[in-house]
Amino acid sequence: MSADITRRDVLTTAVRGTVLAVMGGGAGFLVKKANGQIVWQVDAARCVNSRLGETGVAACSLCTTECVVPLSAVRAVNEYAKCGRCNICPAYFDVTSPVDQHGYPSVKLCPRDAILRHPIGKLDPEDPANNFYEYLIDETKCDGCGKCVMQCKDPLGLGSITLRVRYDKCVNCNRCAISTACPQSAVVQLPAGHAV
Amino acid sequence: MPYRHLKAIASQFEFALTALAVDARGQLHAGGDRAVEVYDGDGRRVGRWAASRQVCSLTVAADGTVYVGEERQIEIFSGAGQIVRTLRHPKLAGRVTSLGFSGDDLLAGDTWDRAIQRFDRTGTFLNSIGKDNPVNGLLIPNGAVDFAVALNRTIFAANPGKHRVERYSPAGGLLGHCGRFDGRDPAGFTGCCNPTNVAIGGALFTTEKAGPRVKAYDFDGRLLGVLATDLFDPNCKNMDVAVSPAGAGPERVYVADTVRRTIQVFEAVNS
Repeated sequence: MSADITRRDVLTTAVRGTVLAVMGGGAGFLVKKANGQIVWQVDAARCVNSRLGETGVAACSLCTTECVVPLSAVRAVNEYAKCGRCNICPAYFDVTSPVDQHGYPSVKLCPRDAILRHPIGKLDPEDPANNFYEYLIDETKCDGCGKCVMQCKDPLGLGSITLRVRYDKCVNCNRCAISTACPQSAVVQLPAGHAV
Repeated sequence: MPYRHLKAIASQFEFALTALAVDARGQLHAGGDRAVEVYDGDGRRVGRWAASRQVCSLTVAADGTVYVGEERQIEIFSGAGQIVRTLRHPKLAGRVTSLGFSGDDLLAGDTWDRAIQRFDRTGTFLNSIGKDNPVNGLLIPNGAVDFAVALNRTIFAANPGKHRVERYSPAGGLLGHCGRFDGRDPAGFTGCCNPTNVAIGGALFTTEKAGPRVKAYDFDGRLLGVLATDLFDPNCKNMDVAVSPAGAGPERVYVADTVRRTIQVFEAVNS
């Protein structure tokens, strides 16, 4: 019987099997994606705005300009456990701007004024340096331009601010426009359980 | 500018160059990884020994004993690198990122307490320095306490979160401060938290991060000059600085490039 099986039969069976496996995998992926089990996310270790070692370069704003969602589905997020609560935060202030009469930078960094600064606890009126500050990002204003992310990262800051896809805004396109445009391939698909 | 760049010394550390100190004979001691290296005045490596943990700081006593600050302990070595003893204390609960002497007393910068801890020669705790303020310590988002001690025992401590260098008595009293934020005028300190490191010689020397910079001030806080900016890797931070002892030829200032793991050497120029 084995003499009746030709090389053509073997190859045909192998190709059919491969095609079925790919189709099955693709269908499984689409089902998972449709169920929200596969999502887009920004890989902070690849994103030029948060990747360590990239200093002295302008912030990348492709997440703002390429996303199909109004303002962008990508927003800056401050991870409070990492934030230094500094008196002069380089993500809040443009630290290269002239100093005002109170000794602070006179210009804010965020072009949309999306970062709020609040003192924590009781203020020391005699010495403002004796205070910690909380920095809140107003996500109704933030468009994910990445300027604050670039200024927050080490060595200038502590890297507490990163860009993240907000799932209540992301429409989970099959081909994410930011992912297509990102030269760092920093917008990746992940199982929802692995996303931040 | 009364200082010129003299040379660079390449260390043998593989991962980190964290600490510098100069002994009474003018030999440079460098700490990094889990080791201490010793260089002569010409920059030749003349010694190396292992420490038990990552070296965070070091200082050399007048008798040549080498004190090495690590995580939650201070290792004490003979000048030849033989371990003498290890000092552990509840007041050393974090990384010991700076060491110095005030007379016979040992001072240790502790990152957990955000303060300088003062011990007598036997290792008995005496008092904390830099904690008597509304934020209960030095503001160190950069993660390192650093200080230097003047001949009159005044302690100059970097308080980077306040963009100041503060002067303290050994008992912990704040005597005054100098420095201010300014992102444009080099006389000020820029970024969120600078200066990160200080040293004392013929002037007060400071180092900053983002971008890295070495400056000299007089003891009233007036800028004397910027020693260097472009010599260092732009990702450097917490660059330790050490000064050669007075009377051993022209004053030398040693600064650690923490990324390239090299030591930049500057020398005073007679004006």
